[in-house]
Amino acid sequence: MRFLRQTASIAAKDLRSELRTKDSLNAAGSFALVIIVLFSFMLDPTETQTVYELSGGLLWLVFAFAGALILNRSFARELPNDCLDMLVASPVSSSALFLGKATANFTLLLVVELVCLPVFGGMYNLSRWSTHLGPLLGVVVLGTWGVTVIGTMFSAITVNLRLRELMLPILVYPIMIPCLMAAMKLSTVLISGEAITGDDWIWLRLLIGFDIIFTSLSLLTVDFVLVS
Amino acid sequence: MDQRNFTYMFYGFAAAWVILAAYVLTLVARERRLAGQVESLKRMLEDREKK
Amino acid sequence: MREKILYVLGVAATLLLVRNLYVIFITLPDEQDQGAIYRIMFFHIPAWFVCFTAYFLAGVTSVLYLVKKQFKYDVFSVSAVEVGLAFTLIGLATGSIWARIIWGIWWTWDARLTWAFITCLLYAAYLMMRNMMDDASTRARFAAVVCTFAFTSVAITFKAIEWWRTQHPGPVLSLPGRSAGGTMDPEMEAALRLNYLALFVIAGVLIAVRMNQEKRLREVESLRRQVHAM
Repeated sequence: MRFLRQTASIAAKDLRSELRTKDSLNAAGSFALVIIVLFSFMLDPTETQTVYELSGGLLWLVFAFAGALILNRSFARELPNDCLDMLVASPVSSSALFLGKATANFTLLLVVELVCLPVFGGMYNLSRWSTHLGPLLGVVVLGTWGVTVIGTMFSAITVNLRLRELMLPILVYPIMIPCLMAAMKLSTVLISGEAITGDDWIWLRLLIGFDIIFTSLSLLTVDFVLVS
Repeated sequence: MDQRNFTYMFYGFAAAWVILAAYVLTLVARERRLAGQVESLKRMLEDREKK
Repeated sequence: MREKILYVLGVAATLLLVRNLYVIFITLPDEQDQGAIYRIMFFHIPAWFVCFTAYFLAGVTSVLYLVKKQFKYDVFSVSAVEVGLAFTLIGLATGSIWARIIWGIWWTWDARLTWAFITCLLYAAYLMMRNMMDDASTRARFAAVVCTFAFTSVAITFKAIEWWRTQHPGPVLSLPGRSAGGTMDPEMEAALRLNYLALFVIAGVLIAVRMNQEKRLREVESLRRQVHAM
């Protein structure tokens, strides 16, 4: 109970400070929109069938890139005034600190995604994108959790590096691939207006499995990363 | 086909040996560099102790 | 004395490798479907097993480091990863050349190859990250955490041929406790096992040499601190 309260207060603290400046949200949101525009040069936007087939991959690339911006800031914002040292030294356990940060990042990234999704669907004329809205949102939530839990972990690791902005993407994208891959496949199916059937269930299992594996692995090892 | 088969087999083995040799060479180079660094650092320490 | 033993072992293993080359090229016949090119497997399969083993041991020692906080585990795990990466490159290069003949392409994005490539990138990033950290104990701690995470990718690579339908062939060796495999000619398998032995010993020697260097590196770092302190 105390653990949950600590987690919630860390998350609330992060979200509050983000809402005051809106730095990450603005940067991630506009970056995501820029990439969506860039995609229109890469493929022929009038060939709706092709766009449907690529939709999951395109969307998750946008999400992953935008996510990296949010994740980079997550721990870096605590560096001025030695806030990070204070947080680590405070009675909040490191796993609560980690989970709180991850929850805040998750919420922020989810907001960006929920803006991008209809924009993407509308601008590329994907009229069927919302036919399976419930399952699609479920996949988005699961995929985003995987991305943020790994990202927050590696954000905590790379925050001490000299070249943290360079190192985070190099480390984090390869590790994220299982989550991203599963989310891409499932999103493509759902945005094309089909239900998840047969062969696709393995991707859902993979997505849930990796969320569980990476969450528990992070909680097990976070004590070694966030120490004063 | 058979000729190409043979050439590529040769390429494969060559690649394996070359990579292995290249790694050994980097190890040797690093060994030298480290020895040099230890040497110069020790000399620097002795110099300062004399002063 | 220890160094001498290492060098003798290394030379012996290299000689064994050269002797195996004779068996592979002269004694063994061409394979009926693939012709001469199949001989690449004598490097390809052992190289991958060596690197899987190295990554596995690096993962184990990383966890041990986190639990026991002794530098020797960190020293081992970075050495194993570096040697493993060299063998990963051998595996990728030989595999690619083999694929050019058998599949007609240098590369295909099937599950096994993709994951092998991801693993390669991950461990390269691990080594890069280590270079960017100056404090030895933080470096060891963070590297150990990254190494534990990276091992999931090795596990997926290893299992990929069972989880997905891949273009990459399934198991061929008759390992104890494995129902699939065992389809290889015994004479070829014997030669393969000898090559395994040689490459394993070479990898072990390289890891030991690399460990000495890592210790030397620590010496350099502490000398540097002393010089600065004066």
